[in-house]
Amino acid sequence: MIIRACALLFLSSLLLAGGCSDGPKTTGMKVYRHSLNGSPTSLDPAQSATIYANHVVVNIYDTLYSYKYLARPYQIKPNLAAAMPDVSEDGLTYTIRIKKGVEFTDDPAFPDGKGRELTAADFVYSLKRHFDPKTRSQGSWFWSGRIKGMADWKQAGSDYDKEVEGLKALDRYTIRIILNKPFPQLVHTLAQGYSAIVPHEAVNYYGREFSVRPVGSGPFRLQTFDSVRAVLVRNPKYRKEPIDLAYEGYDEAIHGKFGIEKIEGRAPPLVDRLEIHFIQESLSRWNSFTKGDEIQYAGIPKELLDDVLARKQPNVLLKPEYAQRFFMTSGIETGFVHTDFNMADPEIGYNKDKRREEMNHALRCAIRYAFNWHERNKRFYNDMGVIFPGIIPPVVPEYDPDGPKDSLEYSPEKGKKLLEEAGWTADKLPTLTYGGVAQVDTRQIFEQYRGWLTKIGYPKEKIVFDSYASFGDFNKAVKQAKIKIVGMGWGLDYPDAENTLQLFYGPNGSPGSNNANFNDPEYNRLYEQSAVMQPSPERTKLYRRMNQIVLDSCVTISGLSRQEILLWHKNVVSYPDRSIVGGFHLKYVDIEEAGK
Amino acid sequence: MNTLAEETSLPKESESLWGKAWYKFRRDRTGMIALGVVIFFMFIALGVWAGLWGSGWSNVGGDMWAGPSPEHWLGTNIIGQDIYSRAIYSTKTAFEVGMVVAILSTILGGILGALSGYFTNSWVDELILWLMGVLDSIPFYLFVAAIAYALQGYPYSMHIAMIATFWTTTARLVRGEVIKLKNFEFVEAARAIGLPQGKIIFRHIMPNTFHILLVQATIVFVGAIKSEVILSFLGLGVVDGVSWGLMIAESTQEVQAGHYSNFLTASTFLFVLVMAFNMFSDSLQDALDPKKVSA
Repeated sequence: MIIRACALLFLSSLLLAGGCSDGPKTTGMKVYRHSLNGSPTSLDPAQSATIYANHVVVNIYDTLYSYKYLARPYQIKPNLAAAMPDVSEDGLTYTIRIKKGVEFTDDPAFPDGKGRELTAADFVYSLKRHFDPKTRSQGSWFWSGRIKGMADWKQAGSDYDKEVEGLKALDRYTIRIILNKPFPQLVHTLAQGYSAIVPHEAVNYYGREFSVRPVGSGPFRLQTFDSVRAVLVRNPKYRKEPIDLAYEGYDEAIHGKFGIEKIEGRAPPLVDRLEIHFIQESLSRWNSFTKGDEIQYAGIPKELLDDVLARKQPNVLLKPEYAQRFFMTSGIETGFVHTDFNMADPEIGYNKDKRREEMNHALRCAIRYAFNWHERNKRFYNDMGVIFPGIIPPVVPEYDPDGPKDSLEYSPEKGKKLLEEAGWTADKLPTLTYGGVAQVDTRQIFEQYRGWLTKIGYPKEKIVFDSYASFGDFNKAVKQAKIKIVGMGWGLDYPDAENTLQLFYGPNGSPGSNNANFNDPEYNRLYEQSAVMQPSPERTKLYRRMNQIVLDSCVTISGLSRQEILLWHKNVVSYPDRSIVGGFHLKYVDIEEAGK
Repeated sequence: MNTLAEETSLPKESESLWGKAWYKFRRDRTGMIALGVVIFFMFIALGVWAGLWGSGWSNVGGDMWAGPSPEHWLGTNIIGQDIYSRAIYSTKTAFEVGMVVAILSTILGGILGALSGYFTNSWVDELILWLMGVLDSIPFYLFVAAIAYALQGYPYSMHIAMIATFWTTTARLVRGEVIKLKNFEFVEAARAIGLPQGKIIFRHIMPNTFHILLVQATIVFVGAIKSEVILSFLGLGVVDGVSWGLMIAESTQEVQAGHYSNFLTASTFLFVLVMAFNMFSDSLQDALDPKKVSA
């Protein structure tokens, strides 16, 4: 009997131990468990179109440049590159030197399984991949038409043995890029996951599996990856570069309270194991976060903001019970939401009949008067968003805080008057299709919009919701210019207003990024003029003039930048960022107690 | 003796199936109450259709998540829409979907079931049985969702999806009844005098399956309302307008923030109507059951 009891006890303890184990042994390891509200479908840099993929990719691979960890406004810095690029006088030739002795992680893809040194040729190969149709790159638009000879290379069959005139490895550690015309944002594109450097051996060895078997030279290497989480472990071969907080933009007043000074002089990555959990449901993520020992970073579900926050304005404050347990940062997003009119639709945009085109202009401006930004902010963004006029959001340096705000005015009376003056009557008004994904939020935003339009005398039955099952379907309809009114959000790829101004550049019309199909000769001319200019007061002046053209044309109702609130546990030393710095911040994260 | 006078003074119930059924149904208190509730909901739906009430369902003038007040009896949702008006308007949506789906799927099921039953063991029967077997083998909500998804943007996609799936049960029941009826003497007599088959099926046999069709229509009606709510909740249902399903979908976020009015109102309306219709359907089934009627 005693023997049986002992055996049972032994077996139970084995089962218990088995149930508690978390894959490989993590005792004594520093484990940081991050969370994201979506999951990547591929870890191939050429497919890293989402912030979720980007977060993982930039931690497995190296990019030539990245962003300073703490500096705001964001500042770009060399990462794998040894220094910022040497740019020729005419802004067309970039010479970039990369660090020596950087190695890919060990992997069966290499001879003898030993990772070799990363060279300039690897960067050339990685960028060429985007123009190889077999790669089905989602990021080629960054460099399309910009690199000299790349189009011809693609046209000639994307043969990697053939050289591209504008993209060469001059020697083992020097890259030269020649552009067709100046592209001041080039260096920012080299800080995106798309530009991450992959070894050709791994691409060839894994074939289609390469999307889930990444081999890079970044701070971490992938251990496991599925739709629930990605587990990364420290790359022991990662170069030892001590952290210089002053260089990274450390400010005692801002960062001191988070204990960031503790990482000074240490070499990233600072944790042994990085787990990125993909949890779409915000409340589930929150529950896991507040339980204390699972997720160590999260945002606050908007439904719980009143329970968690003591104050929303002018600055965000946590309630004491949460402030005791968590660190928090808040700030506006590096993007904005806006509602565009489809100018390609003759019923609301451009029309061969000039009189009708004038009427359409009045109609768009009247609709803008009906738009109540304050209510939109209050009902959907917890009254915490920042409303600004036009398409240059507050997060970029070109934003004009003193610019005219009349485009944000809510006045149904003025809207109604404008319609009457332009000769619009209820029976003449066109049926407006408002496109969106079949989700509760989108439908409510539409219903609110419809409610406002009825206040300027728009018949309710003439405002219809065009619903789509997925964002992909909706986006496809937008790209085919099928929808009259398009509500969208835009997240900046890099902190330069050019990234938002290109949204209204004529040649970028559908299926390009110009969803409004706006095509104004003066705007196009100014865009082309400014696109090749380095940051300067002259360029800022041009940007602001372009912003005003968009506003005067009533082509969009814009905009609002949403507030982002991020929380993390107090034993985590971090300064998280979801957008521009994004996944780059994870190599600086430290945990104060091991083995959790 | 004046027995004749005594006999004629007593109201005599009809000896027909329908007369007996009505007599029996009237004595079923639960069924009568349920019928009253259904008629009440129908009255609400007709009022909405006539524009007497519920027309302000889309107005956004109210405060965010306002509590019950004389102006908004059941409060408002996030964009200040009156929850009471939305629930009332949704009654029309429910009846619209229920009626369209019940009538069309019953007609389709009745016709195909009758054909299948009359031509038993022929290729017509085989074909219809095969079709029913295929449709029945696909999980219902998956199939409805697939059709609704494929026909997205078309306002009646949900109706088509439901009709395409609901007719099979009716057809099976009618088929069984027709197989029994086609051997009856009145059918043999009709055949003997050379009536065309179409006339025999649709004029002589089908009227004898109406009691099945009626009960089945009420069951489909309830099923359609419930399916509409589920599909709308999933974003595959009502394209324009409002329904209890959409209200419940909205409430999933509101409940977490402590605002229950949308959820409770839509759920209560749905529960009462579905429950009443189910009870009405049960009573009707009992009343129309030939064994029970003749007993």
